[in-house]
Amino acid sequence: MDEFVQSLVRGLGTGSIYSLLALGFVIIYKSTQVISFAQPAFMLAGAVLVSYLAPATGFFGAVALAAVVIAFLALGVERTVLRPMVGKPVFVVAIITIGVDVVVRVVTNAFIGLDVRQVGDPWGLNTVPLLGVDVQERYLVMFATTAVVTAALFAFFRYSRVGLAMRAVSYDQEVALAQGISVGSVFALSWALAGGLAALAGVFVATGAGVDQQLWIVALKALPAIILGGLESLGGAVIGGLAVGVIESLFGTYQGDVAPWLGPNFALVAPYALMLLVLLVRPYGLFGKREVERL
Amino acid sequence: MSSTRLAAVFVALLALTSCRGGDGAAPAEGKGGIKVDAGVTSDACPSAVDKSKGCIYLGTISDLTEGPFKTLAVPITDAQKAFWKRVNDQGGIGGYEIDVTTYVKDNKYLPQIHNQVYQEIKGKILALTQTLGSPTTAAILPDLENTQMVSVPASWTSLWGHEEVVLESGTNYCIESMNSVDYAADKMGVKSVMAVHLAGDYGDDAAAGTKLAAEKRGLTFTNVTTQTGQDNQGGAIDAIVSGKPDLVILTTGPTDAAVIIGQTAARGFTGRFIGTSPTWNPGLLKSPAAPAIKALYMQSAPWKAWNTESVGHTAMRAALPSVTPNDGYTAGWVWAYPLKAALQKAADNKDLTRAGLLNAVRQLDSVDYEGMLPSGAGKQTGSPNDHVFRQSLIYKPDDAAPTGVSLVEEFFTGPTAKDFKFDKPCYQ
Repeated sequence: MDEFVQSLVRGLGTGSIYSLLALGFVIIYKSTQVISFAQPAFMLAGAVLVSYLAPATGFFGAVALAAVVIAFLALGVERTVLRPMVGKPVFVVAIITIGVDVVVRVVTNAFIGLDVRQVGDPWGLNTVPLLGVDVQERYLVMFATTAVVTAALFAFFRYSRVGLAMRAVSYDQEVALAQGISVGSVFALSWALAGGLAALAGVFVATGAGVDQQLWIVALKALPAIILGGLESLGGAVIGGLAVGVIESLFGTYQGDVAPWLGPNFALVAPYALMLLVLLVRPYGLFGKREVERL
Repeated sequence: MSSTRLAAVFVALLALTSCRGGDGAAPAEGKGGIKVDAGVTSDACPSAVDKSKGCIYLGTISDLTEGPFKTLAVPITDAQKAFWKRVNDQGGIGGYEIDVTTYVKDNKYLPQIHNQVYQEIKGKILALTQTLGSPTTAAILPDLENTQMVSVPASWTSLWGHEEVVLESGTNYCIESMNSVDYAADKMGVKSVMAVHLAGDYGDDAAAGTKLAAEKRGLTFTNVTTQTGQDNQGGAIDAIVSGKPDLVILTTGPTDAAVIIGQTAARGFTGRFIGTSPTWNPGLLKSPAAPAIKALYMQSAPWKAWNTESVGHTAMRAALPSVTPNDGYTAGWVWAYPLKAALQKAADNKDLTRAGLLNAVRQLDSVDYEGMLPSGAGKQTGSPNDHVFRQSLIYKPDDAAPTGVSLVEEFFTGPTAKDFKFDKPCYQ
């Protein structure tokens, strides 16, 4: 039982990181119909920025500041690089985001230097008892933070005028435009939100061992999460991210004993296997919008 | 132009190209009556110390921007620039100075890019002073052999001991891991060992050495493959925690290692870790895993760290006065010595052609590493089993040391490595 609780908490913790990243992907996709491959770079940039700011401002101040700075960075990228591409095929824009990712990562790498950098978080690898089992504090913090951020995002989209405008744009850009909504501002805001979320996710990844230039790889785990949850669903992104984290952790803990014939490291494949299974039953993901097209 | 005429021109060009023998220039007599071909000019180097000297161009293909080994590659490259500048300041070799700054290429640690940039520079250089990575270098190996391009690797796989165009230094991952297992068996009394390693010949080579040593010493052996990325270490962590080996030989990247050590310790693991040199980064001593690393981790090394007192180390520190200490610099500096010795030998033989340099490599009985490696290191004559270097060192984490590690065990050869018949790469 202890092992199960620990494994579950680890999975929810890392799954929370995937959820934050997946939320960014989905927010941009809903607004622009583009999957942004620049999210890994913003994640890395956020973690590196915190490693520089934390000694001066403290960890929490650094996280807040970094999230804002990376949000503005993402907004700037959208305004300067992607805005001129409005109306172009989404495939082209997606490829451009790969270029943005490379550029931002190369510049960020220059700031990492030769040594692994630290974000200075207060949790380290400390544990606290939960249901009589010692679990790492940082996983609980990741989960709680993601829960708060998700609740705030849902409230924002449901109750604020800007959030409502973003939802309108996600349904139909032309109609939204006709209603006086600035679609361009929605694009920019969605990139800013995604950038801030990526920065937060990057900081959480770095709490375990630090920031090196390979940190960006973690962001790739958000891809099965968004496919699993459905590309248009914020709730799906959160649940997809948590599912990927939990599946990965539980398979890592038990698969060696229960199904050793699946081979070592099956835990890394398990989220993708789950994604394929879900897609067989629900081709648009668990919470995705079923597309109806006139043929 | 008609299509027939176009085809004729194409065939003529093709014939002309093949007559040139690929990238190589025809041998000619250079300065001081030395025979030269590709990559050696009578004109001075672009930033020559002495404009009356000719120039030997050496190429560098490294991971300089976005690849996974950039933090190692950049100091290696900088150290080699400093090394060859020192050679030039001391008068060069055979009436020539050495240029290592004109042909520096980024491989992004991708074999296809490595091959592409190699093709761009191969006709303009005599040799490669750095070809970083095992899979990347493997991508150009047939070409290196065909063009007799002597190359200095920036990796330690045991394959290089069997390739005469590859001029390695120090021991390889395989023997380094053998020595680590022998050390732990003798000094810590370990009874079981687990190799946790990345896939590919970096990790596979170390795992093969670990397995050979475990068999020799009668230890229980387990093999666990992992992937790079902090979030991808769950499987390895679970394997260690459930397997409870006395010793884990780690061949991963630094943050992977920190996650594995930190998380296994947090889950009650008390066994020991010994990592090969690329697993270490001084920044880990400031990570949340630092207490576990200090308690459980040791590092094997092919040569001594930055702050060692030797003629070579002192010269290196003097040549790199303002850098943050990092053993990437040490590696780059050490790796350059055998190429310097081979160039000197080729110049003495009055033959600085590609073939002449390879011939000089075959004649190297020893290399003067200025105390950075023991005598006997750098030997290229005889079979791989005769000349493979079998000594390594053990370090431990140390906050006070400039590169975060201090020496525990001097150069030694364990019983496994001593008796090991090196007749093929360990992982094959």
